[in-house]
Amino acid sequence: MRQMKRLDLKRWKKTLRNCPYLVVLIVTWLFMTVGGALLMIYRGYSGFEPDTFWTQPFFAVIMEMKIDDGTNSVVQTDNQAREALALLKESDDRSGWIFAGISGVIYESTKDYIAKAEEAKEEEISEPAVDAIVGQTLFTTYEPVEIDSIYYSDAGKVALTTEYPYSQVGEDYFDDAIFFGDSRTLGISDYSGLNADFYCENGMTIYKLLDEKGVVCQATGEKDDLNQVLQQKMYGKIYIMLGMNELGYRDTAYFLEQYAAVLLQLREWQPDAIIYIQANLHVSREKNNIKSEFNNININDKNAAIATLADGKGIFFLDVNPLFTDSEGYLNDDLTFDGVHLHAQGYMTWRDFLMEHAVVREED
Amino acid sequence: MLFSSIEFLFRFLPVFMLIYLLVPEKYRNFVLLSGSLVFYGVGEPYYVLLLVFSILINFGLGRLILNDKLTEYKMPFLVFALIVDFGLLFIFKYQDFVVENINRLISYEAIPILDLALPLGISFYTFQTVSYLMDCYRGKIKKMPSLIEFAVYVSMFPQLIAGPIVKFDEVSERLKKRRISAGGLENGLKLFSLGLGFKVLLANQIGTLWNTIMTAGAGNLSVPVAWLGAFAYSFQIYFDFWGYSLMAKGLGEMLGFRLPKNFNNPYASKSVSEFWRRWHITLGRWFKEYLYIPMGGNRKGFVRTSFNLLIVWAFTGLWHGAGWNFLLWGLSFFVIISIEKSGIGKWLEQRKILGHIYVIALIPITWVIFAITDIGQLVRYLQNMFGIHAGNVMVGNVQLMRYIKEYGVLFIFCILFATPYPMRLYRGYKNKWFAILIVAAVFWFSVYEIMIGSNNPFLYFRF
Repeated sequence: MRQMKRLDLKRWKKTLRNCPYLVVLIVTWLFMTVGGALLMIYRGYSGFEPDTFWTQPFFAVIMEMKIDDGTNSVVQTDNQAREALALLKESDDRSGWIFAGISGVIYESTKDYIAKAEEAKEEEISEPAVDAIVGQTLFTTYEPVEIDSIYYSDAGKVALTTEYPYSQVGEDYFDDAIFFGDSRTLGISDYSGLNADFYCENGMTIYKLLDEKGVVCQATGEKDDLNQVLQQKMYGKIYIMLGMNELGYRDTAYFLEQYAAVLLQLREWQPDAIIYIQANLHVSREKNNIKSEFNNININDKNAAIATLADGKGIFFLDVNPLFTDSEGYLNDDLTFDGVHLHAQGYMTWRDFLMEHAVVREED
Repeated sequence: MLFSSIEFLFRFLPVFMLIYLLVPEKYRNFVLLSGSLVFYGVGEPYYVLLLVFSILINFGLGRLILNDKLTEYKMPFLVFALIVDFGLLFIFKYQDFVVENINRLISYEAIPILDLALPLGISFYTFQTVSYLMDCYRGKIKKMPSLIEFAVYVSMFPQLIAGPIVKFDEVSERLKKRRISAGGLENGLKLFSLGLGFKVLLANQIGTLWNTIMTAGAGNLSVPVAWLGAFAYSFQIYFDFWGYSLMAKGLGEMLGFRLPKNFNNPYASKSVSEFWRRWHITLGRWFKEYLYIPMGGNRKGFVRTSFNLLIVWAFTGLWHGAGWNFLLWGLSFFVIISIEKSGIGKWLEQRKILGHIYVIALIPITWVIFAITDIGQLVRYLQNMFGIHAGNVMVGNVQLMRYIKEYGVLFIFCILFATPYPMRLYRGYKNKWFAILIVAAVFWFSVYEIMIGSNNPFLYFRF
């Protein structure tokens, strides 16, 4: 009996010696699994999660470290972002430009940050422009559906373009404009013919926008750190459209807080710029997947959230969706190949829309 | 479940292989069958019943066809079996297409659209069961397999969802008795890793360029951009399919089977006829043996031969998908190959360079027809390839330079791996340590790519 066992072991040994590749794979896998498990314990993960068990082996942690870096928050803690949101919302009741005096807020520690914000509030740096017309951002409401997702819920409302007596302008309006965004903004950069500064790239998120790794400047093809760009050159208009690559990363509240923090930072660097929050374009019926987080309800949820940041004075919300979608809000099939991006000519329509929805300050 | 998914690679496969290797030999077919049904059922919880039904009915009918006492009913049994098999394929794959076109023709919604999801792999396993029944009828299969052997033949997970289309006699011996060797395990795993690399590192990556160009819009493209897109798609579909076939072959070897080769460097062909002898070999073989030859092949005169070819190519086109573009795609091969049959093909195959240029220029055009299902867009894209533009060229040199910068290196790799040399090199050195390490690197890099793609489902074609 004992001999049998030994023989068997020998056979296994021999088999393994004949399978060096298999051994290499198993060893690397073991190594990474142990490493991944240790890392998870170190980070404080605990317990077995049945949802992710099938798609996330232990070593996933190691492989995804690079991604985790990429989705680093703009601000150090959630608290700071929440404060930023509160500040931005509050500004509506007080003064449009309360943030002008806060410097370096976002990268300070929580304590400093709040103290400085309080200080700034007391200072009440400048009064809002006299008798300026204040735009209104309205919503249409509908009966929301029940959503079981950690990423979003049904907002039950659709944000509309901020109501404001916009001017029709020419292309030179965009000479001192800067655009931030993901691949859709890349489309504007490529095909609208507008002569603005475009800082956008595939997969860009609000979380990565102000990262020191930078964003690709379309004029040069190089990555530039926006912390420097925005402190060196003054812009008249800032167009920002982000939210697609954030659909499946934490929830809408978190997204909104981070978005607000970015706006706050932009406002600090560029106190005179008009900020346009552009709504994220819906996807086609075919791409709309209600089982995943990739659908128009989620996009709408994100859009409705960021639309609340528009104060109608310095920050405006623009929704191009009515130009490109059908009565149910799906992106028209004729206008797209992949159900997500417009064909090149769509961006000409988009450009015309932006030219019809320009805010021109009287003092200019 | 797809081969290139984490669930398959790190959950299903290791657990399955352990069980498969540890159980006594006589239970291996049972383990393989259960494993395959789990593999299929995870992704298709309802259609797995369709698969089981197909296995049972085909097994029963095969038994009747082989029954010595019922020889005079052989023909009716076969006809009935074909009606069932092709009937199911028609209902699930083609019905909506036909109904839509009838409705359009009479401009009235006379027949409702069923909108059934296509059961994964139905085109492949239907062709396998049909080949089995035809072989039974022709007396090529004499000895009845057991139900479990037949079920394993139809459903074994390496070839279930994307081929190769295996003939029963190719695996019948191994279905009864197979040895699992360390060498087979090792070689199979390496082959699988290479296939995974082709799929994930080449096909998926170059596919994003095709997607980008189509996103800009067929009709807006300069001539070079249109051709660049056509080449990108040609590589995408090749490495996608070849990668899958290699993975299937590798898995087969790990399990103790020898699955037939499906690709033999098709892009190195010197005529389109030769291309089709090297591309998706098991499908071409199926059409030849079970459709072309039964119709009389080339033995009934020129007109009849041409007609037979027309039918074969029309069905080859439609087999790939229910759409007019697929029919057009198949028929384009009918035209090209008919012309080549006049002698031009042979002439080209003897030329060293001209034949290659001819194939490299022609095949991407056929792939464009394959890729674009919307006929309007298809026409615009083809027009762009030949410099006909209805509107402005919006995607020109600026974008071309960017594409070349972003995808240039990838293109070089694709071209390299479309030649026979890398695999020849691999076969020569596959047991050396450095080769083992390279293949392991390919495997883990592929896993990494899958991982970052699956963690964020949108990253694959990042917005």
